[in-house]
Amino acid sequence: MSLSNASRVSRSPLQNASHTKWYSVALVAPALAAIVFLFAVPLIRSVVTAFIDADGGWTLENISRAVEFYGRDVVFTIVIAVLSLAVIAAISIAIAGYLTLGSTPWAVAALRWLYRWPLFIPFIVAGQTARSFLARNGLMNSMLMEAGLLEPVAAQSFLDWRGLVMTFAWKQVPFVTLLLAGAMASLDRATIESARNLGANRLRCLFEIVLPQVRPTLFVGLILSLVTIMSVLSVPMMIIAGTPNMMTTMMAHRVTYYGDYAVANALGLFSYLLTALVAWFYLRSTLEKEAGK
Amino acid sequence: MTLKLISVSLLAAAAFTSIAHAQTLNVVTAGDTNMVDYINDFLAPRFEELHPGVSVRALGTGPGDAGSQAIYEKIVAQADADTWDVDVAVIHQRMAGQMTEQGMLANYRDDIETGHLVTRSTAENALGVNVSGYVMPMFHSQIAIAYNPDLISEPPQSYEDLVQWAAENPGQFGYNGITGGMAGVGFVFGWLSAFSGMADQIANGPWDDGAVEEWAPALEALRAFNQNVTITPGNAGTLDAMNRGEIAMGPVWMDMFYTWVADGRLNPNLQLLILEPGMPGQPMYYTVAERAAEPELAREFIAFATSPEIQAEGIVGQFNWFPGIDAEHVRDQMDQDAWDRLYADVSPEIMAERGISMPQADYFQAILEAYERSVSN
Repeated sequence: MSLSNASRVSRSPLQNASHTKWYSVALVAPALAAIVFLFAVPLIRSVVTAFIDADGGWTLENISRAVEFYGRDVVFTIVIAVLSLAVIAAISIAIAGYLTLGSTPWAVAALRWLYRWPLFIPFIVAGQTARSFLARNGLMNSMLMEAGLLEPVAAQSFLDWRGLVMTFAWKQVPFVTLLLAGAMASLDRATIESARNLGANRLRCLFEIVLPQVRPTLFVGLILSLVTIMSVLSVPMMIIAGTPNMMTTMMAHRVTYYGDYAVANALGLFSYLLTALVAWFYLRSTLEKEAGK
Repeated sequence: MTLKLISVSLLAAAAFTSIAHAQTLNVVTAGDTNMVDYINDFLAPRFEELHPGVSVRALGTGPGDAGSQAIYEKIVAQADADTWDVDVAVIHQRMAGQMTEQGMLANYRDDIETGHLVTRSTAENALGVNVSGYVMPMFHSQIAIAYNPDLISEPPQSYEDLVQWAAENPGQFGYNGITGGMAGVGFVFGWLSAFSGMADQIANGPWDDGAVEEWAPALEALRAFNQNVTITPGNAGTLDAMNRGEIAMGPVWMDMFYTWVADGRLNPNLQLLILEPGMPGQPMYYTVAERAAEPELAREFIAFATSPEIQAEGIVGQFNWFPGIDAEHVRDQMDQDAWDRLYADVSPEIMAERGISMPQADYFQAILEAYERSVSN
């Protein structure tokens, strides 16, 4: 055995561990660097900028201006997000429930084929489509008038909060349904069959047997949808006329017309707080569940 | 072997010579993707043909003032370098003033042969800042009112008439407020110029701290006016609403209007007018960076791009913008039909009389904030 081989063999476990550690760090470094430089640094910079005035000193002026000018928009954003999530949850549960419990094979197959389509439509296309569909003289009202279901004088534009909620729901329902239907499909069918054998109808089965078991997946889908809703710019910009509008639009407005990143970042702060709050609730419930195991 | 060596040496020498002569002109432009396309697809091939060995590289920084802001930040980031990676910068008015004041732009207009072809005030003054010599207008874009003559035989010709017309025809006038694009913003600037009694001061400065308070009656009237109008989602939203017959009048960019008509996306019967006392328009400027790596080439590029032929074929012919240089120089390069189409609804005389400049930079922001505080909130 050569000397070098001997030294390799006699290397202490501690040395091996430090080597392994070095390789691990090297392996994780690119991903870590991407997170630090593309996510953490911009986030910290954005938060700090919200508290800095034109001369570089600390200030709360940007926050108070954001509240004074865009307080209504913050409230509007929260209301739209909550309403959209409620609609998304209701429709996703209905679709995923039917995919899992439905007893008409062709209807299940048709629904399974149809519901994913909006996933492949970009938000900006969804926004433009909604704009021509929901306008006062748009496609939806024209079809209703053709069918004799709507008098022309009674036609109204849905290009307001209703159009926004509808578009967000249309775009996000397939995503949440995809997660939810997947989770439901992986459940032990025996529990469902037992409940059915004992006389529970499908609705009761859905709400008392299936849904409690897939609730964490539903929450994940809704939290991810919330983050998407909070960050989409094109849809509110294209659908909502005037104010109040979503925070993203007002941030873009502040940057485009005033070159004012400070107040835009102050508005961003409200977005972070809102999503962080939801994430905290989710993490807390997950941790409690883990601890209870 | 010797032969091989010689041929390799010759090839290397040829490659070196071509590298030595290859020049790259960096054109950085604010604005939408159409600006980058215009430089890449229209200007660059023609300029490169006239200048063998030169390649034009266009970089877009995004639409609106934010795009110009990005160019400013790009230059600030390399302020200490001997040369900058920006030769020609295409920017909006607000940033042209700021960059001129901060010594980032070269004074070049008198050095190019097309420099004397522009006499418009916006070539001298950008939102209250003297930019004479530092800028060459690429095009002029004008805001006007589009109306449907089938619905309105005698459209209101002034802001004052419009107020009365909107009260008599609620919901028939539509505009996009100030958060949905510059057509709405320009309409509001025109309103303040008409009703504040400070039109000159708003256009040219100087800034007066008490100005905002003096606008209270004009803003109050605008708030009342808004009760009778339809607010549309964006510049395109106004045109869409006109197309669908939801509104009969609304402010639009004239070039966008003509482009939509040419593309068959807008009712060709619609017409344009500019309200009295005036509605704003704005140019975008060709500028040369103070420490451009290729200043001579940059000047040649701008002279080429502002020549009457290119202005007629590219700026008017492709985009329906008004030429950056004076219209009379472009007229000879255009056929009568194209000329008539461009000035069909708004004559050059009306343009000169009612086309006003955007507000001076301080007033620009103050008007928007006053609107957000008193009208839309």
